[in-house]
Amino acid sequence: MVNDLSLDTINALAALILLADFMLVASSRMRSLTRIFALQSLAMGGLAAVVAFETGVGHIYVVAVLSIALKAVVIPRFIDYTADKIQVNREVEPLVKIPGSLLICAAITMLAYFVTEPIMELGTAITSNCLAISFATVLIGMFMMVSRRKAITEVVGLLVVENGVFLAAVSTTYSMPMVVELGVFFDIFVGVIIMGVFAFRINRTFETVDSTVLRRLKD
Amino acid sequence: MLTSMVQALLVLALSPLFTGLIRRSKAYFQGRQGASVLQPYRDLAKLFRKDSVLSHDASWIMTITPYVCMTAVIAAALMVPFITDSSLGFVGDLIVVVYLFGTMRFFMALAGLDAGSSFGGMGSSREMTVSAIVEPTILLSIFTMALISGTTDLSGISRNLATSGLDLVRPALFLALAAFFISTLAENARVPVDNPSTHLELTMIHEAMVLEHSGKHLALMEWSSMTKLLLYAVIMANVFLPWGIATDLTAIGLATGIVAMSLKLLLFGLAIALVESSMAKLRLFRLPNLLTVSFSLSLLAVISYYIL
Amino acid sequence: MFVDQLFLALIVLPFAGAILAATLNGHAKTSVRIAFTVSSLSSLLGLAVAFLIFLDGEMRWELPFSSPFGPLSFYLDTLAAFFLGTISVVTFAVSVYSFGYANHYEGKYPVGLLGAMFNIFFSSMVMVVSSSNAILFLIMWETMSLSSFFLVIFEHRQEGTVGSGLFYLIMTHIGTAAIGMGLLLMYVNSGSFDLSSFPGAAQGMSDVLRSAVFLLWLVGFGAKAGIVPLHVWLPMAHPAAPSNVSALMSAVMVKTAIYMLIRCCFGLLGVQDTWWGITVLAIGCVSALLGVMYALIESDIKRMLAFSTVENVGIMLIALGVAMVFGSYGLKELAGLALIACLMHVLSHALFKSLLFMGAGSVLLATHTKDMERLGGLAKRMPYTGAMFLIGALSASAIPPLSGFISEWLIFQAMLQSFSIPDAMVKILITVALGTLAITGALAAAAFLKVFGITFLARPRSRDADEAREVPKSMLLGMGLMAALCVLAGVLSFAILPGLDQVSAPLAGASIADSLVNGIEIVPTVGEFSQASPPLIAVIILAVMGLVLTLSQAYGGRRKVVRADTWDCGTPLTARTEYSGRGFSNPINRMFSWVYRPIRTFRATRSPSPYIRTEMRYTSTTQPVFEKYLYGPTEAGVRWAAKKISVIQTGSIQTYLGYIFVVLVLLLVALRL
Repeated sequence: MVNDLSLDTINALAALILLADFMLVASSRMRSLTRIFALQSLAMGGLAAVVAFETGVGHIYVVAVLSIALKAVVIPRFIDYTADKIQVNREVEPLVKIPGSLLICAAITMLAYFVTEPIMELGTAITSNCLAISFATVLIGMFMMVSRRKAITEVVGLLVVENGVFLAAVSTTYSMPMVVELGVFFDIFVGVIIMGVFAFRINRTFETVDSTVLRRLKD
Repeated sequence: MLTSMVQALLVLALSPLFTGLIRRSKAYFQGRQGASVLQPYRDLAKLFRKDSVLSHDASWIMTITPYVCMTAVIAAALMVPFITDSSLGFVGDLIVVVYLFGTMRFFMALAGLDAGSSFGGMGSSREMTVSAIVEPTILLSIFTMALISGTTDLSGISRNLATSGLDLVRPALFLALAAFFISTLAENARVPVDNPSTHLELTMIHEAMVLEHSGKHLALMEWSSMTKLLLYAVIMANVFLPWGIATDLTAIGLATGIVAMSLKLLLFGLAIALVESSMAKLRLFRLPNLLTVSFSLSLLAVISYYIL
Repeated sequence: MFVDQLFLALIVLPFAGAILAATLNGHAKTSVRIAFTVSSLSSLLGLAVAFLIFLDGEMRWELPFSSPFGPLSFYLDTLAAFFLGTISVVTFAVSVYSFGYANHYEGKYPVGLLGAMFNIFFSSMVMVVSSSNAILFLIMWETMSLSSFFLVIFEHRQEGTVGSGLFYLIMTHIGTAAIGMGLLLMYVNSGSFDLSSFPGAAQGMSDVLRSAVFLLWLVGFGAKAGIVPLHVWLPMAHPAAPSNVSALMSAVMVKTAIYMLIRCCFGLLGVQDTWWGITVLAIGCVSALLGVMYALIESDIKRMLAFSTVENVGIMLIALGVAMVFGSYGLKELAGLALIACLMHVLSHALFKSLLFMGAGSVLLATHTKDMERLGGLAKRMPYTGAMFLIGALSASAIPPLSGFISEWLIFQAMLQSFSIPDAMVKILITVALGTLAITGALAAAAFLKVFGITFLARPRSRDADEAREVPKSMLLGMGLMAALCVLAGVLSFAILPGLDQVSAPLAGASIADSLVNGIEIVPTVGEFSQASPPLIAVIILAVMGLVLTLSQAYGGRRKVVRADTWDCGTPLTARTEYSGRGFSNPINRMFSWVYRPIRTFRATRSPSPYIRTEMRYTSTTQPVFEKYLYGPTEAGVRWAAKKISVIQTGSIQTYLGYIFVVLVLLLVALRL
């Protein structure tokens, strides 16, 4: 039988992940962006650890540790480093204003719930009610990528999407097979590095990391 | 009936102390000596002894406003649980309390317009702008608690929550608390929404509205504002973190209640002082960002209550 | 029976009065007196009928001659009686008010016709809520629309009045067309025009057909009620009409549409899908929010009040939608609660909105303007009007324990009960609606604060406002009656609610009067969820107020109150240094600029130094979003289509006769098939 305390912890961490989504959308400083992302990844890792403890599936521990180590420590550091290096302006520069973004995200959350409701009712996993939050996280991550100007914010958005996918995996099927999981981590890590390099490039070519100027490449 | 009255009197009597505490701790955080925590009492006493000056342009609204404000907060104080349940809680639930504060704000803003000075108008206009988002936030966050505890009666919420141990604690509670804390700062004219200690035009919201009041009228306005601040802190303590509230009228229960309440108020006072010392006041048109954050937090609280 | 005779008198009297007033048009004073005496008498009759029906339960009455559409019958149950009572109360107060108000038209416009139309208008509203035959209903609905149209264009020499009236006429006819189609669809299925046959027919209809009828009626009655985006006629027609008429239109005519919506959704169509309720809820939210937002930035008092009507209709629809959602899940008690909340809001809105429109009329009479930016300082010059307007504004801002607060409180409670719904998504939607309602409430307070503060407080902004004097006693009496009712309906709501339960119980299928009212407490819930006691709130407020006053007099020292100038920073204060209405709402205008889409221009004359400007001009206008993006294209489309169709307009009579001939032949063939 599932321990009540674990269930409460999982719910609390899921709520924290959702809260982090909103904080990401609400923050107007680059620095706080990476910090909140680190927090979210930490919650993510914690959640995975609790699930591992509860289900006894050993490899989820590995995933949890990796998640914390990579996404809560290494990647945020790397992003901060990149941002410092190219001396990016600390304002986030959203295309959609923050109040509007927040309301859109609230709508997204409801949409996510609406979409996942039938699936969650079928779900037998202890964490099945996290599914709505994972969908919301994916969608909010995408929304961040769409609505924020800077290349670096797009990277954070992508990472948030990845967190969402990861949460979905953990909450429905107690995570994917080990190999896939590791592969994804590796992909993400490489992806971030490549994007960091690209950010350098964009910066050097256009003297800005505003990704909207890439439109000029069209003609 | 009796406990309610005693508690309301207590709230009324302690409110300047709470304000004094915040000012003193703020001074401490900023490395200043600061005035004694009893200073607000002296200020009020002094103001009560002075003549009131009324503008030629002002109508009867200006004269009745201080009394209306005082009445509204006292009526609210009668319905809010403090050390223990409010025995007049059945008269009005949390919506009534929130709307009583609304009454106070309405008249304060009317009086702001009444003297015909542009400062007052500016204050009123900004106050109503801020409240347009803050009031729904407060309602939604307390509604979350109503859903969690199964009643909209403020005393009922704190009783149900306090007696059920940690069973009713959910993530929604913390989201709602965060939303309510931001709203408390906004409603009571604290940094980062307003600055309570200046009359600068940049920060003018609350101070601008009461600019034309003086003497006894000003004393009543100030006192009612201080009481409102304390009431918000009390609601925050008793609705969101009610553990320790006296559930019966025994000596031990009351003693625990008093100690718990003092600790919580001290904590909130320090938190407010800390926020005020560490943050800068936000530009007026930056405020919607902060306020929508708190609004979506409260919305999120309800949603997460249903989802999780 | 006694009620029947009273009802007959209620129908005959206004028509007689109308004819008399119209014939005496030459003698302005007499015709005014006759017209409004008759209307106040007949409204008292209406009140008596409504009261008797609440005692007896129902009444059925037929016109003694038959028609091709079946018997022309009237049927009054408690729902109809409630609306009849509301219409009567408001009409009575407005009639009293009109004795004074109508006089100022003397010599300028034909006052007799105003009185005549006023009576016909009242009578048609009475028959709209009481007729039980679809055709009779449609005729009365048309009479109501046409009489109100003539009343709207009464001041036809004012610029723009006729245009507003025509717009109103078009909108209301679009609505009537939709209503008519819905009724015909029902007729096809029931084989009778009697409304009482409709519920049975609805059972046998397919889901699609029933939903089609629902949507047609929602659009049709919605156009009359002023739901967004069909609300555009309200802010045009209400300000154009004479103020006593706008009071009637806004406070009760709009409610006949709400009446019909309640009747249709709960009575006639019966079975409800959840999405019907959600649709009504969503429309209600949008109307409430946009209505109040536009009300807030408006600086014409009567336009502002018209927008506020849009808002309040939205709130009623929110309550109705919640009731329908509860009904669809079989939660009868809760549906009853939400319906009671809706009815309470109908009542309180009727009270405060008629009061506010009468107040606006008094201001207009005293100062000849309804533009807030030219008013100010009226609280000192017209103290009674000011005090009563304030009561109306407080009630509209839901200040406890006035009637507006009680209805809003009940709606909140009904919405909070949504946790009993099994479907979590619906719960979340209702919560969002609840948030919307809370924002609406806060913005409404800001809007009414502005309208009262700018109009009545501080210094006058024009000479007209400076020279304003208090209005005649009859007008004050009409307003005073409504102000007293605003307070009483709130404080004594525990006595009104059982009556409303009598209305809602047959519709929702469950009576909750026993649990709802406990002594002087209102317990709007199943289980101990919440309660409040309006009379005790009033008592506490009065007692505390008394205490505060005495104590601060006794211990605050008997200090003098010194009169002095407002602090002016060394520059003499004039009307131009005051905060203007536009300035007041500007922060909200900026905050919600994505709704208002304001267009701002700033021009400064060129001068040698950037620090010394000789002249600066700032304009800020709000785009009429609906006119621009919805009505403009629609109108263009209609014009385009009309042009295409105009080829059949040849001008030769033979061709037209040919058309008729062809249509006749086709119809005959169609009938045979």
